[in-house]
Amino acid sequence: MDEFQSGEETSFVVDEVSNIIKEAIESAIGGNAYQHSKVNQWTTSVVEQTLSQLTKLGKPFKYIVTCVIMQKNGAGLHTASSCFWDNTSDGNCTVRWENKTMYCIVSAFGLAI
Amino acid sequence: MGEPQDRPAPENTYSLRPAFQHKFRSSAVKECIHAILKENLANVQYNPEETPELTRSLSETIKDRLKAEGFHRYKMVVQVVIGEQRGEGVNMAARCFWDADTDNYAQDVFMNDSLFCVVAAFGCFYY
Repeated sequence: MDEFQSGEETSFVVDEVSNIIKEAIESAIGGNAYQHSKVNQWTTSVVEQTLSQLTKLGKPFKYIVTCVIMQKNGAGLHTASSCFWDNTSDGNCTVRWENKTMYCIVSAFGLAI
Repeated sequence: MGEPQDRPAPENTYSLRPAFQHKFRSSAVKECIHAILKENLANVQYNPEETPELTRSLSETIKDRLKAEGFHRYKMVVQVVIGEQRGEGVNMAARCFWDADTDNYAQDVFMNDSLFCVVAAFGCFYY
């Protein structure tokens, strides 16, 4: 049988995605402190930048990107995801980032077409 | 392979779109999620020891429920976020790169005195 898809060119590479996410967070939030009026803009810009970089990879994937930003005040936060997909081709990458005033958790899912 | 001989090989369907009755409908999925959250979280207090397991089991339950719902040829992603209510600010956003014709998402939020829970479920059609 012909091998149509193989190798790094067309697979979900977690390290690559993780770097994209980290860059997006750094450029959107950087050293800012939590500001209620800005959070909406930050989450939007993190997911949009991540997604646009992912699409630029030109791989045959559909992507889902989510971002949660929470103010630090001692409260707990938990997140979990369950997926029904093809383990061999699809993948996910979650990045946890924090500074003194907030947590930022970004998850990216890549579903092969 | 270990396939029994009398079972016919699956035929190609050549369908590129889900049948209407098998489409990932936001409203139906939201109802599912809402029912599960209500059942599992109604009288639950936030507890840092138990919540991680609760979060995992919730996402698993919701995913299994959606699988049973019969969305043929859909890949599904369920994300559950549970946080403690202490008056902190939280903001969640999602963006997707997909086929808006076939793919969809649903989300629901549950809150009680001690915790909040956000669930987002995404369905991607596999051609």
